[in-house]
Amino acid sequence: MIIFVIIGYTFLVIFSFIPLYKKKLWSDFWVNSILGVLSFTIAVLISFNVKIPSPAKPIANLITSIFGK
Amino acid sequence: MRKEQISDKEAIILIMMFIIGTTLIVGTGGNAKNDAWISGILATFSFIPLLLIFSRLLSLFPGKDLFDIFSMVFGKVPGKILSAIYIWYSFHLGGLVLRNFGEFVNVVAFPETPLFIPMLCLGIVCIAAVYLGIEVMSRTTAIFVPLIISIVFVVLILGIPQLRMDYIQPILGNGFTTILVGAFSTFSFPMAETVIFLCIFTSLQTKKSPKRVYIWGTFIAASMIIIITIRNIAVLGNLAGNFYFPSYVAASRIRVGNFIQGVEVTVSFVFILGVFVKCTVCLLAACKGIAKVFNLKDYRSIVVQTGLLMIYFSYTVYYTIIEMNYWINKIYPYYAFPMQVIIPVITWIIAEIKKSRQPLTNK
Repeated sequence: MIIFVIIGYTFLVIFSFIPLYKKKLWSDFWVNSILGVLSFTIAVLISFNVKIPSPAKPIANLITSIFGK
Repeated sequence: MRKEQISDKEAIILIMMFIIGTTLIVGTGGNAKNDAWISGILATFSFIPLLLIFSRLLSLFPGKDLFDIFSMVFGKVPGKILSAIYIWYSFHLGGLVLRNFGEFVNVVAFPETPLFIPMLCLGIVCIAAVYLGIEVMSRTTAIFVPLIISIVFVVLILGIPQLRMDYIQPILGNGFTTILVGAFSTFSFPMAETVIFLCIFTSLQTKKSPKRVYIWGTFIAASMIIIITIRNIAVLGNLAGNFYFPSYVAASRIRVGNFIQGVEVTVSFVFILGVFVKCTVCLLAACKGIAKVFNLKDYRSIVVQTGLLMIYFSYTVYYTIIEMNYWINKIYPYYAFPMQVIIPVITWIIAEIKKSRQPLTNK
């Protein structure tokens, strides 16, 4: 699985990051690369079957503590 | 860059598909059992004032989206915080819709395929659609909508022999409170989610069109939802709230002679297109918001990464379908209420006050 992730993100870097770098759109490039690093991390974690904490449980606890069941 | 513009008709179709999208399958007002159709009607009527507020906000600031309106009304820093809330909301909503679709495919069609694959496929289509822009999106929807409406009505007509109208009685049998609870969940689940459109309707033609678009889109979609709800109750009876996908089960009961069977596949076609529209609109809103907050040149440069994040988010947000159903019915209406009602109403009041003061200061 990890192979697919790495191949996919290599293509993304070639086709979406490098054009932005060449056009010197710096804010676009930095926001995009931060999001890209985040999504790459999550993709790697998913491919290793790591359980990623979801916001559904805390929100549910918050709502039920306010309004009751 | 060329300014994008969509006609009123396309915008109406977009809103209609957005509202009926997931609702046709997941069903509404499950708490109200066989009075769910009354809660649908109540929810539609209670949505009308909110709808007027949304369209008024859009026509007060023509050509501006919600993120611009926030920074104009509240100032720069509070505007960015509110924008962040809406980015999160649209991102979350898109993830939930995508997850709905994944569970639907997993339960109904491909039980052996990993959940991730159908969501990834649809997510990539959504990314492509957002990358091409709102014009392409709305025209694609406009091409498919006649097919969708005809499918819905043909299935409705074919289902007539299965109807048992006595399932609808007793009306108000479970008391009025359950109907109100059902109406609240119907109000927040398909209707008031149209707040997302405040973020993307910068390309309407005239100042009057937001009102027209909102009213007609909501009217058509609400009438379709109410008819479908009545159909589901009349076919399935009290059980309608117990299924994950009541429309699918109701359509699978259809048997005309020995040769018209398995009509439920058409229903899943409707569902897939609805999910596509809804997810695309949410992704577009999230990307536009991120681009506005960070002052980017174009929202297109971050579409791919945001879309991929949305797919991963939708994969990790719930562990089971039971948790998803509980969340949709019990938690979501309360969770979404501030974003759907409170913040737009406050924004509208302050905007009206500021607008009425402005001519005085100019003189």
